[in-house]
Amino acid sequence: MSQPESPETKPVATAQPQKELPQFEKSIADKLESKFSSRVAIEFVKPTRIRVKVKKEDVLEVARFIRDELHFDHAESVTGVDYPDQKEIEVVYHLGSYTDPELSKQVLALATSAPREENPNPGNDSTRLPSLRDIFYSVEFHERECFEMLGVYFENHPDNRRLLLPEDWADLPPMRKDFKIKGR
Amino acid sequence: MATQLPPGLQLEKLDERIMTLNVGPQHPGSGHMRLIIKVDGDYIVSCDPDPGYVHRGEEKMAEYRNYIQNIPHLERPVIHDSCNILYPYCLGVEELLGLEVPERAQYLRVIASELNRCVYIQYWLAIYGIFLGHSTMFMWPAGDRELLIDLLEKITGARVTHAYFVPGGIRNDVPANFEDMCLKRVNYFEKRIKEYAAIFYDNPILISRTRGAGVLSREDAIRLGTTGSTLRASGVDFDLRKKEPYDAYGELDVHSDVLKDGDSYARSKIPWLDMFESCNIIRQALQKMPKSGSVRVKLKPNPKGGNDEVYKRVESGRGSLGCYIVSRSKPEPYRVKLSVGSFRNLICMPYLLKGEKLGNMPAVYWSLNYWPVEADR
Amino acid sequence: MSAIAPKFRLSYFIKSILDNVFWIVILFTLVGIPVLMVSMFYFPLPVMNEKLTSPYLMLTTLADPSRQIPLLKSVIHSDFFRITAFPGFGFAALLAAATIFIERKMLAKLQLRVGPFYCGKVEGILQLMADGLKLISKEIIIPAKADKPIFWAAPVLFVATAAAFVSLIPVAGGGWVVADIDVGLLAVFAVIGFFPIITVLSAWSANSKYPFIGGIRALHQMISFEIPLILSVLGIVILTGSLNLTEIVQSQIHYWWIVFLPIGAIVFFIAILAELERIPFDLPEAESEIVAGWLTEFSGMMYGLVQLGSYVKLYAFAALFVVLFLGGWNGPMVWPPFPEEIIKDGITMGPITVHLAGLPLLDQQMINDVLWFVIKTMGVIFVILLPRGVFPRIRIDLLLHIGWYKLIGLSFVNIFIALGLLYAGVLGPGGIL
Repeated sequence: MSQPESPETKPVATAQPQKELPQFEKSIADKLESKFSSRVAIEFVKPTRIRVKVKKEDVLEVARFIRDELHFDHAESVTGVDYPDQKEIEVVYHLGSYTDPELSKQVLALATSAPREENPNPGNDSTRLPSLRDIFYSVEFHERECFEMLGVYFENHPDNRRLLLPEDWADLPPMRKDFKIKGR
Repeated sequence: MATQLPPGLQLEKLDERIMTLNVGPQHPGSGHMRLIIKVDGDYIVSCDPDPGYVHRGEEKMAEYRNYIQNIPHLERPVIHDSCNILYPYCLGVEELLGLEVPERAQYLRVIASELNRCVYIQYWLAIYGIFLGHSTMFMWPAGDRELLIDLLEKITGARVTHAYFVPGGIRNDVPANFEDMCLKRVNYFEKRIKEYAAIFYDNPILISRTRGAGVLSREDAIRLGTTGSTLRASGVDFDLRKKEPYDAYGELDVHSDVLKDGDSYARSKIPWLDMFESCNIIRQALQKMPKSGSVRVKLKPNPKGGNDEVYKRVESGRGSLGCYIVSRSKPEPYRVKLSVGSFRNLICMPYLLKGEKLGNMPAVYWSLNYWPVEADR
Repeated sequence: MSAIAPKFRLSYFIKSILDNVFWIVILFTLVGIPVLMVSMFYFPLPVMNEKLTSPYLMLTTLADPSRQIPLLKSVIHSDFFRITAFPGFGFAALLAAATIFIERKMLAKLQLRVGPFYCGKVEGILQLMADGLKLISKEIIIPAKADKPIFWAAPVLFVATAAAFVSLIPVAGGGWVVADIDVGLLAVFAVIGFFPIITVLSAWSANSKYPFIGGIRALHQMISFEIPLILSVLGIVILTGSLNLTEIVQSQIHYWWIVFLPIGAIVFFIAILAELERIPFDLPEAESEIVAGWLTEFSGMMYGLVQLGSYVKLYAFAALFVVLFLGGWNGPMVWPPFPEEIIKDGITMGPITVHLAGLPLLDQQMINDVLWFVIKTMGVIFVILLPRGVFPRIRIDLLLHIGWYKLIGLSFVNIFIALGLLYAGVLGPGGIL
């Protein structure tokens, strides 16, 4: 993005030249692709960041492969993103590794999506995903947060209770796009 | 009539021994959260953390404000470490907008973030001291912290809520005699924190109390996805300043300490050792910093990110702090997620407190470097 | 116009003072003097100028100051004065107040802050009074499910037990003790035995969880530290051959028992730290674990009474340490004698010369004794306060381990040392020294 000239703060930003895909990250993505072929979609490969999108049926299998073969051993965050236009809620697991020093820079974003309902009834509607808690133990509290904030019910999660929201919250899940902040 | 009792009744009888304690939110040893603790005599049977008393919806608010407006409110979750919590957001927005930070600003960011880390750790240490009933250890760090807060006030204009980092650099340059002032204060600060060893870390009662309390093994630390001092106290050498250097950290010699024990004592010692390391980093950065130059890239008003997403992480006082920004070609981010160290360490609490003595509860709880306000966001 | 009281007017102020004076005078003459006169008929009054004092003679003391001296002397030597003022509760409470002030200032200096500073102009000397006023003015809240009579009684009982403890402590030679009994040391331990009972009663009657845990902790702690407390002074009893505290002090004219029984002194000191719930043994009040322990449900002056009781207890234990190990009131004579001229010539103020027969009120030896006693006691209190700035809180299992394994063993070592000294004929009845 170009910047306007100014005497005191001159722009140093230049357009990034289209670089070769980074080798190491490419190799990880290739491993995933060779194993699951069309069932995983490698959305981007950037330096130190890979993003993989899978269907919800395949997410357990892919996650187990990522843990056992690619040595990503913990989840850093679980983010739910609401896309009302596409009628889906995307859940992104950011996975990292402590055990493998080569992977310490890498963050693999494993995205999957759940169907979205117009009138959500958290826990009892079709907005469901399999829980990754048995594979990555560290997602336990993150998935609880995702459940209350977006209404994504995680099946086989041992403890699908409210975490941050009050017990008597009766409105829409607040991180959905149709939950509007007053005055904005 | 004299038949065997059904098994349910026996269980009831057993449960009479168990008492439920609501530690918090109105409890001097809880912070802004509740721990639902079940005790059998002096032993904790189960612990169920209940955060959320200070949930302010920072992530939701961020979806309604543009990239610049988000700066002051995103640092609110942990105002004692406000530079570090803004850092990944600024890095992420810079990547989205394609900005490159001037070199002087990179070094000043490093200095401000290390100063802020010391300020945060001092506050944390003060509370760790008072949780263990050591009132001197409450007053000393809280007093010495003022030294660096004054310095940060001279740089940024605010005592705790700095809002100093902006996408593309820092908000303003430092005052003229900053280098001498900073060096003098950091040297004195290092001399002061050395004295904590004599009164706190070498104290036989403290050692007998916190050694072996809440031991987190290396495997469990990795499996639970802990971060920061909790992770490094369990023997995992993982520090993002070293492993994934951002800004000027790549040119500095960062050495972070690792302890093997994984108990409350080790977890409380790591942040203290981190403060010495911060002092070292600040001195190095002061030496290598360009003496003049611009500190900020000028932004267009209301900049728009592309159709992209970015996940950036930095090492904060409580461990790795990630910021996930989804942008959909609008002035406002589509989704901002802060993956904070406190929230990631929260999972250790039910795990470590189970089977622990009630007297160890504050020592284990606060040693996890858990900041309730940050975890709630 | 002052900012503090914007509607201040001097005339109103003077009027309010005069109003108060008027009402005080009226009430005193109409109520106070009759009550005083009536009550005097029921009190045994001292013999004055070889005449039995009557209420009518008492009134003449208003005109003649020389007659007040024997009256004052008789008051000072009455039992009532000993119990309430000196050397009983009033003296202990005064020293306890001084202790609180010293504690706060000393701790502040240790922690690089100033401590109480503004109240009372001079280094915040009136801060304690302000705190007391605040506590008195607070509402007393009783938990709904509390066992109310016991809950109400607990703070009063606590202070009363502390006062009973104080009454056994001799502060000066010549019988300056409220209760000089032959089994003084046994009585002391009997009184100490009440504290855990009161603590548990108050904790249980509050019907709340944190006080309950605190009370149970206090019970564990106090009972397990009473054993080394008692065992550690057995050495002194063996060497002295007496349980009377005054006799124990008199046996230390030449040397203090701490010289021969240092192990006993150390064990006793650690045990009193635990009995007093001082840091590092303040588990029953551990705030970060169990809010305020057994004090959680107390509010207002009930809390104030417990605090008063615990500081009076602190004074009593420090005084007991002085009596047992540091030679009590024994010390060189430093107090100057009463000036002879005043007795001989009287006090001359301008044209008037007042002869006060019977001066001085207290003899030189007694004042000197009290001086030494207070100095030693404050020294011991200072050492008791010092760990608060240095140590964190200990855990209950470590605490009980110290009590049962280490202190009891050490106190037996102390007893064997005492027995060895006795049978070697060095000390004790008929010893060399």
